[in-house]
Amino acid sequence: MTLFADRPRLIHGVLALFALAVIGRAAKVQLFDGARWAARARDQQVAASPLPAPRGVIRDASGEVLVESREMVRLRIAPREVRDRPRLGKLMARAGIGADWVSRATDSTNKWIEIPGLFLPTDVAMITATRGVHPLPVLNRVAPPSEGLRRIIGRTADGGVAVDGVELALDSLLRGVAGSATLLKDSRGRRFASPSENGTAARPGHSVTLTISAGLQDIAERALGDAVTKMGAEGGDIVILDSQTGAIRALSSRRADPRATAATALTEPYEPGSTLKPFIAAALLERGRARADEQMNTFGGKWTYNGRTFEDDHKGASFTLADVIRFSSNIGIVQFAQRLTPREQYEVLRDAGFGAPTGTTYPSESPGRLAPPKSWTQQSSASLAMGYEIMVTPLQLAAAYAAIANGGELLQPALIKEIHSADGALQYRHERRVVRRVMSNAVARTMRGMLKSVVDDGTAEGSSLATFDVAGKTGTAKVARNGHYVKGAYTASFVGMFPADAPQIVILVKLDNPTKSIYGGKAAAPVTKTVLEAAIAARDAALDRRGLASAPRHVAAAPPADDPAPEPVAATVVTESAGSVPFEISLEQPGRPARVIAGARAVPDVQGMSLRAAARTLHRAGFRVIVSRGAGEQWPAAGTMAAAGSRVTVPAAP
Amino acid sequence: MVFASLAGFVVLTTGVIWRRSLGVTRARAIETLATRRSALAAQRARLDGDIRAAISMERLGRAAEERLHMRVPSDSIVVTLQRAPRDAVR
Repeated sequence: MTLFADRPRLIHGVLALFALAVIGRAAKVQLFDGARWAARARDQQVAASPLPAPRGVIRDASGEVLVESREMVRLRIAPREVRDRPRLGKLMARAGIGADWVSRATDSTNKWIEIPGLFLPTDVAMITATRGVHPLPVLNRVAPPSEGLRRIIGRTADGGVAVDGVELALDSLLRGVAGSATLLKDSRGRRFASPSENGTAARPGHSVTLTISAGLQDIAERALGDAVTKMGAEGGDIVILDSQTGAIRALSSRRADPRATAATALTEPYEPGSTLKPFIAAALLERGRARADEQMNTFGGKWTYNGRTFEDDHKGASFTLADVIRFSSNIGIVQFAQRLTPREQYEVLRDAGFGAPTGTTYPSESPGRLAPPKSWTQQSSASLAMGYEIMVTPLQLAAAYAAIANGGELLQPALIKEIHSADGALQYRHERRVVRRVMSNAVARTMRGMLKSVVDDGTAEGSSLATFDVAGKTGTAKVARNGHYVKGAYTASFVGMFPADAPQIVILVKLDNPTKSIYGGKAAAPVTKTVLEAAIAARDAALDRRGLASAPRHVAAAPPADDPAPEPVAATVVTESAGSVPFEISLEQPGRPARVIAGARAVPDVQGMSLRAAARTLHRAGFRVIVSRGAGEQWPAAGTMAAAGSRVTVPAAP
Repeated sequence: MVFASLAGFVVLTTGVIWRRSLGVTRARAIETLATRRSALAAQRARLDGDIRAAISMERLGRAAEERLHMRVPSDSIVVTLQRAPRDAVR
């Protein structure tokens, strides 16, 4: 009876003990093991996922995006999970995946397949939505639009690792800082972003704005490609440099060897040949050791000195220093260079920037080669005067010519215009940086005059424009391989400045081993003309239109009868200048009335005169002189009305 | 009292679960949209590249020369006219 009477109390006691046990266990779990259990639960329900930082955007000088990162997908397939294999096979074939991989992905004996390559998510959207397909997002860099830009900007490998070019030089700024995301896992292991737990956001890389003008780059690339094909060259380079700021506007390189992926205008030095002569002339003028009109005996174009025979292509009994540059006389410049000591000659070239990297933002830039005088041989002084025994990169040479163009200051070439952080804050802006003064303003002006005569009636007439003046110097240099000059292999080059009187840009064209013509004046100079004509006609070629509008222009000559008809262009280009004043460029259309040529004058009669007297007479009358081989009559004939500045052809043997 | 407490507990728990489910659903929707956005951004990048290639001198210039018989004009037939500043034009 007592037992029955105590039963409820007993049950209550058991329940109370049970409750105490539960509470005790709960207390242990919560108070003592709580942290461990919470961590275990978190592992089951939450996952941390790294967030790759988007690599910074690279733009051209006008802000046009050249390279950016985009999200692609890698396709990973578990064939045994796929329910409708024939449909998956069709979708994969439609996406352009090879039949071999399609059959592997639909073969249920395979456990796991990774399709090689990356795919645009929109192209494979239906595939990634299929059961059994596990897409993996991958950040991928869009390749630059042209070969030249690819060489400048460089490449990134899988995972966004910079390999070369600007990508490598500025990798620490471009790559950004990776973040992490907190993902929730459901009961099936699927992951999705947590609505309550925020991870650390990835910080995108800085955006980089290059000094390159995409329009001018485009023009240079096409001109170089056409020239390499037309001249049968192994390759070539074009550098276009803003002579007033040092900004690199275009860098185009072509090589037959596909392994040469760098911007060779910065990495491959060469012997410049005659394009180096102006720096010797400038040094002589600067030190008062020679005058521009000082005559030098050139021995009829052949001269032996120190057991070495020098020859000129343009043979003459004597030349002034200006004519030495105009006709690229080796004999003249070698003799003039003897007025400089080896130390002075070395310093002149070193001060012009040769033998040291320019310091532009590009990895593996070559310093070139300029040996100190102590290692010179007896022939070195003469060789250097003609542009041999020295190796320069196209960029070094263009920068040195920019010093002549801007009044004597050697500027550091710049490839980076601006750098902005991801939030748009300006981190860096290029400012004109003077390395040193190479020559006085007066000497630079004299040199520009000499270089203008090279284009007007010297070795570079092929670069002459119809109305604007161009200045420049040609170079034709033998190519050395394995310590010996290769017979028949030459580098043809031309360095020009435009417009001649107030240069805005320096343009260097170099063709490697051209087979159709080896001469810089024939092979490289016309490329300069092509580039300049296209740049003048383009609306986005980074030229200062206001400066061009006020630049002195000579009147175009009437085209000879056998010239092709005027270009059938029917277009009007409207452009805005960098300032607030817009300009309109109208291209003359066929059918319009012909322009009246102003400044027409009668061609003087030079029959019976010596060649020198005839040239002087025609120059005084305002004409340019072309000397034709053999006998004949002058053209246009004496008394013909022709525009000032037009060409008159006179026979070499009247 | 006990019933009211129990009912309150059930309502509260249901509210928490409903709110959490709603959050998860919206997080999935946001994730889907983010994926879609990155896919479209990738497509835009490709189309931008295609446009750049299509309007390059290499392709457009060559096509204009071959099909329309146009040529790059020489500098002598390009006339640069300087307009007066806009604020000076009345």
